[in-house]
Amino acid sequence: MKKVQRVCIWALLILGPGLAQQERFRKSPPIPDPLPRLELPKIESMRLMNGLTLAVASRPDQPFISLELVILAGESQSPRNLPGLASFTAEMLSRGTPLISAADLEERIDAIGGDFNTTTTPDFSVFSLHFLDSFLDRALETLSLMVLQPAFGDREIVTLKRTQFYDLRQKQRDPEFVGRRQLLRVLFKEHPYQRSFYNEEVIKNLTRKDIQAFYDLYYRPNNALIVLAGNLNLAIATRRVSHYLNIWPKRDVEPAISPSLQANAAERFCFVDFPRAKEATLVIGNLISPLDETEYFPLAVLNQVLGGTPFSRLFMNLREAREYAYSAFSRLEYFRNCGVYAVTAAVIPPASSAAIREITRELDRITREKVSNFELEQAKSYLIGHFPLQIVRLDELSRRISESLALSSGDAQWSRFNDNITMVDADRIFEVAQKYLLPKPVVVIVGDKNVLLEHLRDLDRLEVYDLKGVLLYTLIKGVEG
Amino acid sequence: MRPPAKKSRMSKTSIGSCLFFFFLTSLGAYATQEQAGLPFSFSHFTLKNGLEIVLSEDDTLPLVSVVLAYQAGSIREQPGKTGLAFLLENMMFMGSLNIGPMQHIGYVSRVGGEPNASTTEDITYFYQTVPANQLALVLWLESDRMKALEIDAAKAERAKQFLLDGISQRKAVDPYLNSLLAFDRLVYPDFAHGHSILGREEDIVGLEAEDVRAFYAAYYVPSNAALVVVGNIDITKTREAVEKYFDTIPPGKKPPLFLPPRPPEKKEVVQDFQDSLVPSPAFHLGYRVASPYSRDYYVLAILDYILFKGKSARLYRKLVKKEGFALYISGGIEKRKDVAVLKLFAMNNNDTMVELCQKSIMSEFNKLRTSDVSSEELAKAKGLFKRDFISRFATPAERAMFLAEMVFSPLGLDTLPDQLPKYMRISPYEVRMAVNRYLVPESRVILNVRLK
Repeated sequence: MKKVQRVCIWALLILGPGLAQQERFRKSPPIPDPLPRLELPKIESMRLMNGLTLAVASRPDQPFISLELVILAGESQSPRNLPGLASFTAEMLSRGTPLISAADLEERIDAIGGDFNTTTTPDFSVFSLHFLDSFLDRALETLSLMVLQPAFGDREIVTLKRTQFYDLRQKQRDPEFVGRRQLLRVLFKEHPYQRSFYNEEVIKNLTRKDIQAFYDLYYRPNNALIVLAGNLNLAIATRRVSHYLNIWPKRDVEPAISPSLQANAAERFCFVDFPRAKEATLVIGNLISPLDETEYFPLAVLNQVLGGTPFSRLFMNLREAREYAYSAFSRLEYFRNCGVYAVTAAVIPPASSAAIREITRELDRITREKVSNFELEQAKSYLIGHFPLQIVRLDELSRRISESLALSSGDAQWSRFNDNITMVDADRIFEVAQKYLLPKPVVVIVGDKNVLLEHLRDLDRLEVYDLKGVLLYTLIKGVEG
Repeated sequence: MRPPAKKSRMSKTSIGSCLFFFFLTSLGAYATQEQAGLPFSFSHFTLKNGLEIVLSEDDTLPLVSVVLAYQAGSIREQPGKTGLAFLLENMMFMGSLNIGPMQHIGYVSRVGGEPNASTTEDITYFYQTVPANQLALVLWLESDRMKALEIDAAKAERAKQFLLDGISQRKAVDPYLNSLLAFDRLVYPDFAHGHSILGREEDIVGLEAEDVRAFYAAYYVPSNAALVVVGNIDITKTREAVEKYFDTIPPGKKPPLFLPPRPPEKKEVVQDFQDSLVPSPAFHLGYRVASPYSRDYYVLAILDYILFKGKSARLYRKLVKKEGFALYISGGIEKRKDVAVLKLFAMNNNDTMVELCQKSIMSEFNKLRTSDVSSEELAKAKGLFKRDFISRFATPAERAMFLAEMVFSPLGLDTLPDQLPKYMRISPYEVRMAVNRYLVPESRVILNVRLK
């Protein structure tokens, strides 16, 4: 018995201080270990005989392969009178060849555990195919059938028109989609980029001849690139891709002529009526420069300070401090010829006017005061820590590589990303803020006009649009002018 | 049955035992189970307070994902108290003893991480992926809110308003939500399974801080939870860190027993639902099928892929593309803990199309009832299933969520390597038998959504 007691006392002496210390460490966050080294997948690339650029990122741990074929022609290449043509052409590629029906192509994709998607941006069209890694040959064979022998059959054109019409209608149920579309329509004015933001009605004007002409003009290997990520290397990829796509004939493609864009300078408020919307959705933004190494990184840190996450200024002010908004974030978006910053907030209707004032005040503040060291380091820490999360999924990795190649952003945003973020200081942020945030942004408000307009009466001038973006009337101090 | 856990209980009676156990603990840290048939390994043990721990290495990128899962989904709610599980999920971000409101999100976001949470009918998950050197930060945050969440009336009111706003927004963007909730009440066998995670608005308004405290005390306890860590970790150090933060949290009372529902009466149910806000007529169709942990469930999961998954799936191709009876369809097997339902939702141009669409579905089921699916079609369905199954290990976050789900599954973690082969062995005959057994009128529920 005594022996047991002695042992217990001994055990308590040894373990007791340890247990007390355990509860002390609950009071403050632990000190992190050093940040482990980030080893990015190596990207290797080459150009095939027909001019097709091939890039490979090896991820031997993955049982999938993610493929992206990028055609360097997007919605801004659609003719002025046929917006939506680029997107429609891209979608038609998976809708059959002269010998293989659309249904059979779908069977082929499903049979390789595949998932196929098409995306069209103002600058390029992307075909994404994610599949089980044992089916590389079958995937490339199917892709080559789609790219080299599209049928553009009349029946499929009718079906796709119906599908796209319905899809656009569905998208218009999202106030944020409607707000972003309105903002970009205003910012891009007469620029070809504006053709990306069309209504469902324009689709019915497209014909087989238009689609074939667009395809003939732009779907060329020397105007395309292909990215493969997964359990393979450049040597294997080159052999297999050449085997299936070498017969794709090259032809000169006229480079797109893109007029320059001017940022909005004067105050402009647009209201889009969204019947029965419960809240006001604000989308506020303006143009910034296209991708440029010297400005990309300070702008990225600026965006983080302003509204990149829930601990950024906008969220903390509009949601946490003032309780005007359910959410408030900012983001940057890049195109080949420009970039856009946009603040998006979901706001309670009575606070919509005050929320607009707070957002513009935050935009103004960052042009007048340099960001504090704390905010700066916090934003940089976020961006560096978050970078690997953006490439953890194979499809995200291939998408990042293909976008980087399509926009020619280079290595600065890949292997030198962390170094470039680390070098940003408060002075550089102040410089880019002065350059891009001083011009007055365009303010778009989406909501139910029967609820919201009375809260916006103090605005000097308010353009009121319907859900499709047709200008209905203009209000001067709340009165139709 | 859960797999036997390696206990790490400390002996208090002899230093010899203490040392012996320390030795065992160290050994246990290295006792990683190499799982044949899985592309990764994991180790599983249980803390003395009952908290289940699963650790798995993935050194592809310098990241770590942490999932803390509680068996605290909406099926644990009582009538009149719906929305409580989702409310508590939200309140878990509103501060605990050492961490202020919103600070959890702030701490994780500042280091570049992604914090999130989700509530299902069965389980509430809290998950975050952070740079690998910030693992201790997440363990500190999660252990604090498991140990001492701060619940008060003001926070409860704020969370309630958040939930009510969320329901209002969901209804604004999804005009068929009301009909779906009504359908779930019809097709599931009891209140526990049939009510929505979102909760009823009138119930949410009536919830009080005391209700939240009681739910937290009953279900947010170590013995009702599982912690999964996947990523660029050292198993030994991670085990030490987990024990440091979680081992001294009291186990809490044993959560109330959850009883499986009585099987519903075998009888077809067909009802109408009038709604003035829906853009077009539609219908919900459901079959009460085998339990998610039964042998037949493996066959039904493959049948789900034959009918609904992929662009060449039977029903989409037939109803939307070929016949044009439906504008849109979606469907699949939905499981709510121990109950599963094969569900379908279709939108149609008019009431005639609703009728034609339903007839066409029944005729397709009749074909499946009388003739085997081809080997090509079955192989395609299995290929798609395999893709989705192995996708669940593809990133640290997905793997951590999957492992957390498997900890609570009656199948258990040890059966994990056998799971995919079981699905891959399904034969055309088994599919036909499953259709004959489960896709029958007396298991069917239809709710026709009509324009008011």
